[in-house]
Amino acid sequence: MADTSTDNSSAAGIDLSQFYQVFFEEAGENLENMEQLLLELDITAADDEEMNAIFRCAHSIKGGAATFGFSDVAELTHQMETLLDKLRRHELVPTPPMVDVLLQSGDALKAMLGRHQGNGGEQVDTSELLTNIRAMVAGEAPPVAPVAHVPAPRVEAPVAQAAPVAAVPAGAAPTSGKRTVELRVGPLTDMSLADNLVELFKEIADLGTISALPDDPSLAGYRRFKVDTASNESDMLDLFTFHVAREQVTFLPFGQAVAAPVVAEPVAAPEKGYGFFDDAPGAPSANHVATPVVAAEAAQPKPVAPAAKPAAPKVDKPAAALEASTIRVSVEKVDQLINLVGELVITQAMLAQNSRGLDPVVYQQLVTGLTDLDRNTRDLQEAVMSIRMIPMSTVFSRFPRMLRDLANKLGKKVELVTQGEATELDKGLVEKITDPLTHLVRNSCDHGVEMPADRLAKGKPEVGTITLAASHQGGSIVIEVRDDGRGLNREKLLSKAREKGIDAPDSMTDAEVWSLIFAPGFSTADQVTDVSGRGVGMDVVKKNIASLGGTVEIDSAEGYGMRVSVRLPLTLAIMDGMSVGVGEEVYILPLSSVVESFQVSEEMVKTIGGSGRVVEVRDEYMPVVELEKVFQVPRFDYEHTSGIMVVVEAESGRVAMLVDELLGQQQVVVKNLETNYRKVNDVSGATIMGDGRVALILDVGSLVRRSRH
Amino acid sequence: MHSILAVDDSASMRQMVSFTLKSAGYTVVEAVDGQDAYEKAQGRSFDLVLTDQNMPRMDGISLTKKLRETAQFKTTPILMLTTESSDQMKQAGRAAGATGWLVKPFDPNKLIEVIQKVIR
Amino acid sequence: MGMMEKLDVQADLAREYLTFRLGDEEYGIDILKVQEIRGYENPTRIANAPHFLKGVVNLRGTIVPIVDLRMRFGCSSAEYNAFTVSIILHIGQRTIGVVVDSVSDVMEIPPEAIRHAPEMSSAVDADYLRGLAQVGERMVILLDIESMLMSQDMGLID
Repeated sequence: MADTSTDNSSAAGIDLSQFYQVFFEEAGENLENMEQLLLELDITAADDEEMNAIFRCAHSIKGGAATFGFSDVAELTHQMETLLDKLRRHELVPTPPMVDVLLQSGDALKAMLGRHQGNGGEQVDTSELLTNIRAMVAGEAPPVAPVAHVPAPRVEAPVAQAAPVAAVPAGAAPTSGKRTVELRVGPLTDMSLADNLVELFKEIADLGTISALPDDPSLAGYRRFKVDTASNESDMLDLFTFHVAREQVTFLPFGQAVAAPVVAEPVAAPEKGYGFFDDAPGAPSANHVATPVVAAEAAQPKPVAPAAKPAAPKVDKPAAALEASTIRVSVEKVDQLINLVGELVITQAMLAQNSRGLDPVVYQQLVTGLTDLDRNTRDLQEAVMSIRMIPMSTVFSRFPRMLRDLANKLGKKVELVTQGEATELDKGLVEKITDPLTHLVRNSCDHGVEMPADRLAKGKPEVGTITLAASHQGGSIVIEVRDDGRGLNREKLLSKAREKGIDAPDSMTDAEVWSLIFAPGFSTADQVTDVSGRGVGMDVVKKNIASLGGTVEIDSAEGYGMRVSVRLPLTLAIMDGMSVGVGEEVYILPLSSVVESFQVSEEMVKTIGGSGRVVEVRDEYMPVVELEKVFQVPRFDYEHTSGIMVVVEAESGRVAMLVDELLGQQQVVVKNLETNYRKVNDVSGATIMGDGRVALILDVGSLVRRSRH
Repeated sequence: MHSILAVDDSASMRQMVSFTLKSAGYTVVEAVDGQDAYEKAQGRSFDLVLTDQNMPRMDGISLTKKLRETAQFKTTPILMLTTESSDQMKQAGRAAGATGWLVKPFDPNKLIEVIQKVIR
Repeated sequence: MGMMEKLDVQADLAREYLTFRLGDEEYGIDILKVQEIRGYENPTRIANAPHFLKGVVNLRGTIVPIVDLRMRFGCSSAEYNAFTVSIILHIGQRTIGVVVDSVSDVMEIPPEAIRHAPEMSSAVDADYLRGLAQVGERMVILLDIESMLMSQDMGLID
């Protein structure tokens, strides 16, 4: 069964390949889940429920892989499952190397599944992983001390009878008091496991004595020992479970002739692969498969204490519950929905515009209807946009693993703290923000956080902290990458800049010095590690973020650490805009950034330094941005000069924009200019007006910034 | 028309089993774990229950036990879908009141074959 | 025209061309890149763009940049009248429009009819010329419109 590679696709007339896609998705989720659980695992206090959950992930992948014929995946997961099973039964104690090996196996599985899906990539060599896992399963690097092991209550084992290997009727060995018994251990895949029991007897003085008996040829896979002991059987089992599972141990009266080969060596079973219990409810009477099973056991279903497993009744990862209340939708469908809503908004705006001149009394119903339409469209827009919003946790999720691997590689100790995981952002942004953020985190780890010894020498905690924080501020989402490392060195940056021929006078403010990092080709790293040094500089990070309509800022305190703040517009597929006229052209301002507007006359605008214009607004002077100049709008009609100031605010700065007229407010569908063209300075996007023409949406942030220089 | 309750936390397995059974003419109700299956079993009966073992919330053994305590499932055939055929598994299954077992991965044909032995 | 060599023909050279006029010259481009042909509409101007980039227009909800090829090629006059036409092209993932004086027709030009363009200075970089085709009395200048529009100096891409 399923031992050919992917040739299971037409097992007996049923085309299994139709289920592959679901399996791949499911396996992908299980792998992600498993990785997260492994990273969160506290080795010193591993939670039963967590271990079970990790086990189930591997188990589930194995089941599907075996069923659908992906035998390489099945093999690796089978081994992982064996290890995880021992861990969850407390037969092995979790260690960091185990977690590492499991994480690496997860990576290998991902790659193998990728290949099966046709994503290409190299053949994955799992031989080393398999060897390592087997060694761990065999107890190499054995657990330190026999921890108080109330054996993890296994759900399946109802009865504590120490003779699960059935078919040995009567004459069960006396269970306590000084006696000699035969200890039968098996079936074992690794015979040397039984040797551990011998060691046990050596270590524990009053356990008794043990000596090996010759192997019985009819009992392949079993080891036999003669044991003289006064110890209680169940005590011994408790000790043994460290090395072999309970059900692999049988105590027999010494000298007992070996009974008929104990069943359950499923030599027969795998060929049939199924079986029925005698006299079980619903069992077929006539043609029942006489697989000799547990005859000695009382057959009644015992009402055993349900779910002895400490965690079973808890609702764990609500994956199952969630299944019922969510549905998967392809991204294309959601995008299409958003586009259609966008078109609807444009049409509604057009109707609103064209109906402005109507007499509300005469056209009462129409006007009312249009007002309702306006509200409905807004509500629809909000609802639809929220479909695309997903929490930052999806972005943050990859960092624990990445940072762990990176810190290990660099020999640093770093802890990752995340804040604001629930902050939502548009799905489209998620994909694009991940790379820049990754680079920033790598930077912090590589160049920011010092080596543990250095940190201690400086009086800092040995473990450095990198914080990822997300929050909403105004109409933006702000993502910060902070570290408590060495921070930026002002002098170094200045000299590096001068080396490169960049004008860097000493009078530069700190903020300006930190911004030097964004210059192309800038890296003050002493060594360019292969981690963050290759080609991807901060300049690329800044460019990527700018292309998303965002900004990056750096703050640093030498010796204490650094903070990089990335600010991105929240999804702005549809927004409220104010349209203004400049010359013959129409521009759109995001309504959320408009503070106020007022008329001005020539005298109210003053000049500073020959070129900077300012205007007095109540008791402050505000810089003036003349849109006509910024956008070189041709002016044909000199009578109609600019007379209106629109005060806008962005990035905690305000400017007054000089325009000719205010045209109106409307909902506006934001179209991306870069799809077919490129990023335009001071412009964040474009939209289609009610009359079908394109209007540019202004990037208030960049206009505010430009006024500062 | 015979109806079958198929319980497995893996969507791909559920789909495969469901498809196989439906192709053979059975009606299938799917459940994502023991808890879900138990709830779906309330107030109705099935001709057969197929259940995976390792599932969140409530596993196969527990489900089997609970069903056996329910009037209309006292004699319903319950087959465990299991990845191993160890004695321990069989013990547990038998003790819980299962009718039999089928080892995963299984050939869809075999599934039908086994089912036909128990469904009358 | 002088001695010109026959063009080394690659198997994948386009066979069908849309031809159009720019001033006195006739050009041809791969028909497969042509999405549609529209009348000229006044684009929304974009500041600081090269002079031949007239701006952007709304094409059924998509923002499309418009390049005036006449200005790009330094033609003496570039009028906008009833005959002026925008050819909307699909280049890679982008939609781009080019303004021409008029569109002629679609013609099949067999590789044998295509000759190398001679080295000479002209507004059009020889890199963008696929060759010169003799079609009856006419000479059609075959343009590699994709490389031309995607080149740095066009300013369409970052």
